[in-house]
Amino acid sequence: MKGIMFALTAGAGIALQGIANARIGQGIGTWQAASMTQLTGFVTSLAILLILGRGGWRRLGEVKPVYRAGGALAALIISANMAAIGAIGATVTVAVVLIAQLMFTFAVDLFGWFSVAGTRIGWTQIAGIGVMVAGILILSL
Amino acid sequence: MLMGITLAFLSGVLVGLQNIFNSKLGERTNIWITTTLVLGMGFAASFTIGLVVEGGDLFVLKGMQTWYGFSGIIGVVVVVSMVQGIQRLGPTFAVSVMMVSQLGFALLFDTLGWLGLAQIPISPSRVVGLLVVAAGIAIFKTDPGRLRGLKLRGAKQGITNK
Repeated sequence: MKGIMFALTAGAGIALQGIANARIGQGIGTWQAASMTQLTGFVTSLAILLILGRGGWRRLGEVKPVYRAGGALAALIISANMAAIGAIGATVTVAVVLIAQLMFTFAVDLFGWFSVAGTRIGWTQIAGIGVMVAGILILSL
Repeated sequence: MLMGITLAFLSGVLVGLQNIFNSKLGERTNIWITTTLVLGMGFAASFTIGLVVEGGDLFVLKGMQTWYGFSGIIGVVVVVSMVQGIQRLGPTFAVSVMMVSQLGFALLFDTLGWLGLAQIPISPSRVVGLLVVAAGIAIFKTDPGRLRGLKLRGAKQGITNK
């Protein structure tokens, strides 16, 4: 039960963050908003990291530089997301983001990109994506 | 409409890509190093693009409200909840619940027109559409190993693991 509450909170937080970003973007501009929310998140996370002081840096060097820089993608993610929410609303935006995310995960597993350990994929995943697309069409009626 | 959907789709693909990069980081470090690094990189990239696009105007925060400065903390709450949820429920179920929760709250925020969002009245087609998307997520997260003989090329690992 506690686990469900945590997962629900995480989902609510992600949805809230999307619309908060869109709102802040309208207020002070897209890049100002993206910079500000990332900076405040970074400072908070850094503070937690320092307080916990657990180390764990030792093997950071083993991670490919491109993976270490992956966070930079957030600039594009946030700006595209803000514009999408402004244009089509939060519900359809979230639904399309989730479908795209799952389709990408599916492709990664299918083609073995990024040497990700294969999860189980098969027809249920194709059916799931089909059903989700149908849901989006109904949503946009 | 099409523009919005295209942007949302692009954003989703990039989220998928970033999740992979983040998990590669997470394998070698811990969740807070990963989160700090990801947000720091995100800031550096947004700030750089902002400087290129807007120049000095990037520092003009006309219309600034105090709460804007705290919204980044939501991201940290998300990380904590996600980690706790995954620990208790396992990744597949936790992520499914999280995705459905995102949809539900997005519908709620649209309906209420929260935070100056254009209000979109709730309608039967929106509720049904959302439930169908949620069902799609549940189907996607179902283990295909149960459907023996229907597996795809990339799934070879899946069934032999059992």
